[in-house]
Amino acid sequence: MMAPLLGLSHVSKIFGATGPLGRRRVPAVSDVSFALQAEAPEIFTIVGQSGSGKTTLARMILGMEAPSEGSIRLAGNDIGHARGARARRLFMATVQPIFQNPFEAFNPLRQLDYYLFLTARRFGQARDQRQAQTSADVALRQVGLSLPEVAGRYPHELSGGQLQRAAIARALLAKPKLIVADEPVSMVDASLRMSIVNLFKTLRDELGISLIYITHDLATAYYISDRILIMHEGVVVESGDARTVLADPQHPYSRQLKDAVLVPDFAGTSVVHDTMEMSGTQRPL
Amino acid sequence: MMTAAALPSDKKCVASGQPATAVLQVKGLKAYYRTRHFGVEREVRAVDGVTFEVRSNEIYGLAGESSSGKSTLIKAIAAAMRPPLEIVGGTVAFAFVPGGKDLHQATSAEVAAIRWRKLSYIMQGSMSVLNPVRRVRRSFEDFAAPHLGGTGASFEARVREHFALVRLDPNVLDAYPHELSGGMRQRVTIALATICRPDFVIADEPTTALDVVVQKDVLGMIRNIQREMGSSLLLVTHDLGVHAYVTDRLAIMYAGRLVEEARTPQVFASPQHPYTRHLIASLPRIGDAAPRAGLAGAPPNLASPPSGCRFHPRCPLAGDRCRRETPSMTVFAPDHRVACFAVSGGTA
Repeated sequence: MMAPLLGLSHVSKIFGATGPLGRRRVPAVSDVSFALQAEAPEIFTIVGQSGSGKTTLARMILGMEAPSEGSIRLAGNDIGHARGARARRLFMATVQPIFQNPFEAFNPLRQLDYYLFLTARRFGQARDQRQAQTSADVALRQVGLSLPEVAGRYPHELSGGQLQRAAIARALLAKPKLIVADEPVSMVDASLRMSIVNLFKTLRDELGISLIYITHDLATAYYISDRILIMHEGVVVESGDARTVLADPQHPYSRQLKDAVLVPDFAGTSVVHDTMEMSGTQRPL
Repeated sequence: MMTAAALPSDKKCVASGQPATAVLQVKGLKAYYRTRHFGVEREVRAVDGVTFEVRSNEIYGLAGESSSGKSTLIKAIAAAMRPPLEIVGGTVAFAFVPGGKDLHQATSAEVAAIRWRKLSYIMQGSMSVLNPVRRVRRSFEDFAAPHLGGTGASFEARVREHFALVRLDPNVLDAYPHELSGGMRQRVTIALATICRPDFVIADEPTTALDVVVQKDVLGMIRNIQREMGSSLLLVTHDLGVHAYVTDRLAIMYAGRLVEEARTPQVFASPQHPYTRHLIASLPRIGDAAPRAGLAGAPPNLASPPSGCRFHPRCPLAGDRCRRETPSMTVFAPDHRVACFAVSGGTA
């Protein structure tokens, strides 16, 4: 049996905070286990509000943070053992990140193509500048852009949606097996958001890339996810098939999360606006 | 506990279509950023001919993506402009400005008398509103005491009375901002903005920085306060879910202009402008995984906007006329205005 693409077993992360009364232990992630299979690429969603530990979990999967307990294995190898430049480079060619704010992910003083060429040469197969240009163009076309549109331009010259696409293209240059996307569409405008979300589906279906999609937005989670993991204060409260879980959440927190979704539905109503008066979910202040 | 029963029902008179007086009238407002560096002039037409009114006792929503001019519009309405932003044309008239004067023509003393008492703001970052090194009580004294008058016990009583009205625990007054959660801080900011019972409140992305679970409660609080005070509220956010939840009427802004305005349920039930239609159709919903298309292209650069209708390069219905002429907001149905040639009857 082949080792899974990514396997987390009993992963915990405890941050220590030293105060005047000694050390305080802050558990950010507690005992999380799941596995992504290499032969079945999927969109695996981690949902939770801020402070739920979802970003800490992503940082651990990206090898930016070491777990306090448990192990994270990539194709059977513990990622904590990927020390040294060579092992790290190999790791980064397999796992690539996409961050929330593309304007913060790129240096504002550097032209965009610099990053694309750098990634192509370091993690991709490109050996010289010509090959780097070719592979950058291929990657940009996969996300609906092209090299002439991006070459020589600075991040501020592109819209948020275009820049996030460029960030995805940069991640694709490494030909990764897994992309970890932390809130990739929450900074993107409404009219462009769905095209990026649809792009993730294309990456899964056509390039066979698995995606860990981290979000607080249950509606897009329902739209693209295959499986879902709901986290609350570092603990997984519910997980399973995304449609099943979101259609009928069992854990009280998952239900609370679903109830908090503002549903823009007035189908059938014309002018009466009294659906507004449903304050039943209000908690005592 | 906030309950529906505790709400005064006077919003019904707005909903039933009786004529309500306009508290804010914006006519043909144009606000441009004009810069001149080294002899190169640049003009960004962030707000370009916007006309609408906000009636008494309603929540008027304004939706638009980033760089659609929402924030510039707020600055122009609140007369909080600094160069290079200039008002190039149009008027902004509040009913409570003496003599029906345009706020931009009012003297600074007149404006100072209006600020916070008549016109106040709820901002996105509650941390930058509240002074981080002073207790919440001090922030209230700093902001509200000059407007409300009264010192010591009488002011304290007034603040406590208001806290009771907005259902906030008065113990919060003794806390420092960092001791409060994000949702609680935003509630304090809302209390601060409404303590003078202003006639008009501008809320700029009031819940964008909050967690989903808290967002609904804070929006409920905004709605309850607005109903209790009977004032008008201009709520600006890009999040259509928020608009669906709290606003009475909704305007959609695209590239510096309004493209559609109607009662909020109407916007969601029968959007007319192609841009609005796309926005509504692309909203993902739990329980519906049907494919949703993204919109091709990107919002235009307002330093060199496209000719004619600014949406035409991305519009599926665009015709020759859309490239040449600018559609104006036309009444499509009662309380429903649309700026599109394909909708208002003419040929596109």
